[in-house]
Amino acid sequence: MKTTLLLTAFLVIVVAPAALARVKLVALPERARVVVSLTHPDATLIEEERIIALQKGVNKVDFSWRGVNIDGTSIQIRALTNPDKVIVLNTSYPPNENALIWEINSPAAQEERVRISYLLTGLTRDIVYKAIAEPDEKSLALRNYLRLRNESGEDLTEAELGIGYGAAFKKSIAHEEVLEMLSERIDSLPIRKLLTWDAATLPWDPEYEKKTVGIPLSYVITNSASSKLGRHTLLPGKVRIFIKTREQPVRDGEAPGDGVAFTGEDWAQLTPVDREMKLYIGQSRDVKVTQRRTKDERLNIRRNNSQQEVVWDKDEVYKIEIENFKKTIVDLVVVEHVPGYWKMVENSHTKEFRKKDAFTFEYHLALPAESTGTKKTTVTFELNRLNVQGNNELSTY
Amino acid sequence: MRPFKTVRDNAAAWVLLGLFVALPAGARINVVTLPGRDSVQLTIYNSADITLVKETRALTFRKGLNKLEFSWANTLIDPTSVEFKPLTHADAVDLLDVSFPPRVSNTLEWRIQSDFAGEVIVEIRYFTSGIGWDAGYVAEAARDEKAMTLAGSVRVTNHSGEDYENAQIRLVVGVIRLVEDILALAQQGQVAAQAGMPAATPAPVLMRAAKEESRTRMLGVDALMADKQKEIIKEGVSEYFLYTVEGRDTIPNGWAKRLPSFKTPEVPITSYYKFERERWNDQVMRYYRFTNSEPSKLGREPLPDGDVKAFRFITDDSLYAFVGRSAVKYIPVNESVEMELGADREVIVKPTLMNWNKTDLSFDNNGNVKGWTTRETWEFEVQNSKDIDVMLDIRRNFSGDWSLVTDAVYDKVDANKVKFVFPLKSREQRKFAYELTVKHGTNATR
Repeated sequence: MKTTLLLTAFLVIVVAPAALARVKLVALPERARVVVSLTHPDATLIEEERIIALQKGVNKVDFSWRGVNIDGTSIQIRALTNPDKVIVLNTSYPPNENALIWEINSPAAQEERVRISYLLTGLTRDIVYKAIAEPDEKSLALRNYLRLRNESGEDLTEAELGIGYGAAFKKSIAHEEVLEMLSERIDSLPIRKLLTWDAATLPWDPEYEKKTVGIPLSYVITNSASSKLGRHTLLPGKVRIFIKTREQPVRDGEAPGDGVAFTGEDWAQLTPVDREMKLYIGQSRDVKVTQRRTKDERLNIRRNNSQQEVVWDKDEVYKIEIENFKKTIVDLVVVEHVPGYWKMVENSHTKEFRKKDAFTFEYHLALPAESTGTKKTTVTFELNRLNVQGNNELSTY
Repeated sequence: MRPFKTVRDNAAAWVLLGLFVALPAGARINVVTLPGRDSVQLTIYNSADITLVKETRALTFRKGLNKLEFSWANTLIDPTSVEFKPLTHADAVDLLDVSFPPRVSNTLEWRIQSDFAGEVIVEIRYFTSGIGWDAGYVAEAARDEKAMTLAGSVRVTNHSGEDYENAQIRLVVGVIRLVEDILALAQQGQVAAQAGMPAATPAPVLMRAAKEESRTRMLGVDALMADKQKEIIKEGVSEYFLYTVEGRDTIPNGWAKRLPSFKTPEVPITSYYKFERERWNDQVMRYYRFTNSEPSKLGREPLPDGDVKAFRFITDDSLYAFVGRSAVKYIPVNESVEMELGADREVIVKPTLMNWNKTDLSFDNNGNVKGWTTRETWEFEVQNSKDIDVMLDIRRNFSGDWSLVTDAVYDKVDANKVKFVFPLKSREQRKFAYELTVKHGTNATR
């Protein structure tokens, strides 16, 4: 599967009545420039420039490829030196060959810089993030890498690689080579560390669990100028997060060295400017959440003539007790789900309350350090669920 | 099913044989050298696999009965379509009948009564399968995506088994009806029985097809090699549009050729984005909108359906970014069209149902619920993260007895669909909301 991109230019001066075999001349002009655009998620665009010697009149330029996965219908040629005078007359496609022939008219014998563009498959890119968090987990150093995988069959030399933002890289990448390069580095990027306890997915009463319940832990990065970002959409990719540690000094009496420990990884979602990237990297077991329904009564029960219950209301009270065993303040989000038509009657934490949608609300709590036992945080809320029916029809959204 | 390969490997051979038979039959046979085609015209359709071939040849007739054999091995000609017509001395030349001889495939024989002796120009017309054409477009959008250069081309592909040399090429944009496949008719090789079709005429006296291997013409021997782009002349005919490629062209069997059709700079476009959950879930789809009209520098003729590849210039030296590829529908003059270019993740539409309630319960005589009303508050967060301004089109589908209350401007598309259309500046974020009330059961009044 060795690359053979052939570009030959030759002049047909005499129109012979006899059939001519298609001649490929060996004198290939070298590529003068290669630009690779990786901005589109599904297709890689190559633009290459070559200087071809055109004769006056109609020239045939032969472009063929082997072992390279080019979308033949995408190939275009544009004259750069004399775009108004050097005209592509037509394109012919021979049978059973990866080739085409351009007929190009030139008003004079001259060298012409042409740009040939095509879509290539097999040259793919991954975005890889590596982050090292400070021990206080308030900021991290982010490194954004572009990892190119070339399985296109094509060796690219001194190619200008663009991913849609930032300056282009000039790199060479051979067929079957994987090349990773640093595309962006941001130091002291502020982050928020967040625990998320979701009532729909986590057990309500840890006492009944055989293992300590782990609460999902996330780092939240905002793609905004205030976070030293916000210049472009953050592309999806794997994020590996490390945290700085202090290592034992090499020798007694020396200063302790710097090291890192791995704290977890996640797939970053595409994050446009001003939006948050939430990275779920592990679990915390130093926060304990116990939720109980302390009241569950039906009111206003309406029966039909057969004495079947048709419609009723409900009065429900919930109590959430939260203990933080850590020596630091912990940010915790408690997520509650209430389907149907409901109204909040009592709420102990209105300031921390956030309605997310019709059937979801959250408490955004800052748990004091070591708030355990009598110092634990207790959230209570009472809600009325209204017009509950035996056959609830919630299918309208 | 690609019968073309075998066809191609055996070089196409077909023969027109003029035989001059003086009565009584068999007494004297004159076989003359086959005259070459004087001209050939291909009228190629793109809605069906059919091409009308018209060729003229000069034949020398004798007075009396002339038999003419026409054979077409290794091509995809529909035998039921072959027609003969004298162009000169038409009054003196009379086609008596046509015979498809038994046990001989791909051959027919015309019996022609001529009152004239000498050269007659005849036209032979038939359908062939295996030649097609399609349109292609390249859209080059300006950096701000407010205008584009639209270049159209036509690509003719020949898999018919025959090299049509120096042919005049005409392309038909339009939809025709065929009740039988030309390819199937061609592959039967012989005229198949068909209601209303007369039985085959008796065997001709004698015939032998002298096959001549036609030379496979390679590209580069076009008799006319123009030094400018060939103009494609466009004219309307009935419900069709006819594109005639200037001059002559040779497209050997197995080859394809692309010819530029037009190139129009500064065509105004709108960068248009659509959101409709029922069609694309949470994706926002990207379109270039333009009008095939004279104010848009187009509009001289309808644009045939075809594939389009869209690029955007991203640097001062005209480097491209690939925007997307899609198929465009046939575009009549003055029609506005959209090129769908795939999902774009830099325009975000996030609908959230913020409130839901159910009220106004009513009960039937048995005490069961027979009617109720739901009220939904939806909040929409929209964001344009791109460096260009765009238009956004959000569509929502409702059902039943619904009504909408909102400060946002919307249009009713039909009884159950509304759209919110508004411009979004580069990097703009905005919110809007509506309240949807739906009356269910006996609460519904419509």
